Amino acid sequence: MNTFLLIVSDAFWSALAAMGFAMLFNVPQRALIHCMIGGAIGHALRTLLMQKFGFSIELATLLSATTVGFWAKWCAIRLKMPSMIFAVSAVIPMVPGVFAYQTMIGILDTTHASNTDVVDILAQSSVNAIKTGVILASLAGGIVAPSLIFKRRKPVV
Amino acid sequence: MEEQEQKPLMAREELRDVIALSLWAGQMLLQNGADSQRVEETVHRIGTSLGCDWLDIVVMPDAIIASTVSHGEFRTKVRRAPGRGVDMQKIAGISDLSYRATRGELDRFELRKALREIDEAPRNYNRWTVVFGVGLACAAFSRLFGGDISVFVITFLASSAAMFIRQELHKRYFNSFIIVVATAFVAGSIGSLASLFNLSPDPTIAMAASVLLLVPGVPLINAGEDLLHGHTLTGVLRGVNGLLIVMSIALGLILSFWITGVSV
Repeated sequence: MNTFLLIVSDAFWSALAAMGFAMLFNVPQRALIHCMIGGAIGHALRTLLMQKFGFSIELATLLSATTVGFWAKWCAIRLKMPSMIFAVSAVIPMVPGVFAYQTMIGILDTTHASNTDVVDILAQSSVNAIKTGVILASLAGGIVAPSLIFKRRKPVV
Repeated sequence: MEEQEQKPLMAREELRDVIALSLWAGQMLLQNGADSQRVEETVHRIGTSLGCDWLDIVVMPDAIIASTVSHGEFRTKVRRAPGRGVDMQKIAGISDLSYRATRGELDRFELRKALREIDEAPRNYNRWTVVFGVGLACAAFSRLFGGDISVFVITFLASSAAMFIRQELHKRYFNSFIIVVATAFVAGSIGSLASLFNLSPDPTIAMAASVLLLVPGVPLINAGEDLLHGHTLTGVLRGVNGLLIVMSIALGLILSFWITGVSV
């Protein structure tokens, strides 16, 4: 029950986050609700995989982003719009903003840290930077997964 | 190519129109956050549906070069597309147009009119809705990071104010990195109120969440998509651009740390 509540509240807040960014990206109005649902599915699934099944954040992100990619493809067919509209807004809650933030803060801290601390701070920053990169790569990979799997016709260009 | 025999020869004026129109569409796509694959395919689709046999397209992060070909006759044009922002409505509109052109519903005169309509369309959400929505989104992020209600309120105020500042600076044509630095400064300064007044056991969440409106999600995701699709050059350059934005956020935050004295 506790996990269920966690997932539901997670889905609710990520839907709101996806909505705000979808507005910022000026998505067509009838696509907005689909972006919100996609955001909720993606982030809640990631939280579920991490909390309940003990997945690492990177793998959980890849699986969730792939799910979002397929959801976006389905919306794209139904609403006749490019799938990136749904996919990009929906993965925004999973963008590793906090890891990027901690990387920046760590690098900034080196400006006023003692020589002995600097090594630790830099090591921590590098780990965060690598996590940011891997999560971003998982997001991009997940979004393009449907087209990599199904759209294998001879390139037109 | 067998196609070459089927399509009638195009006059040089026609070729000129076709390349201008398809590059206009491509420029709008590129400036509003489409990935390189989409730009290339859409420009190609519009050009061939207007009667060209073939188009060769080079997509760069801030420019497109294309040649239209008809029976060996060709014209080439460069179109600059300096960065602007993200507007999914335009991407949807142009994508829809390109499919309508493929079905033969549009000739080049109708297409020009339709493109102008898309270019001049007002945004779907008025600026106050966006300010409220973005504030709510960042506040929602603070909940996802485990913040309590006071962090939620501070984050909402900080990121709404930051979004307002960002719109105002954008209207005055400031340099885009200056806008990011100033916005991050505002968001960080207001977000640090939670720390200054000890409103919450974990007040730094407010600062982390309130600068998230600036995180260059679209450039970074596009960078990844471009790299995966083999558009290595645009992918790397978009990634560098995203990195510069992240560093500008950091600069804005460090300025606010100096002023408020709050450290993370």
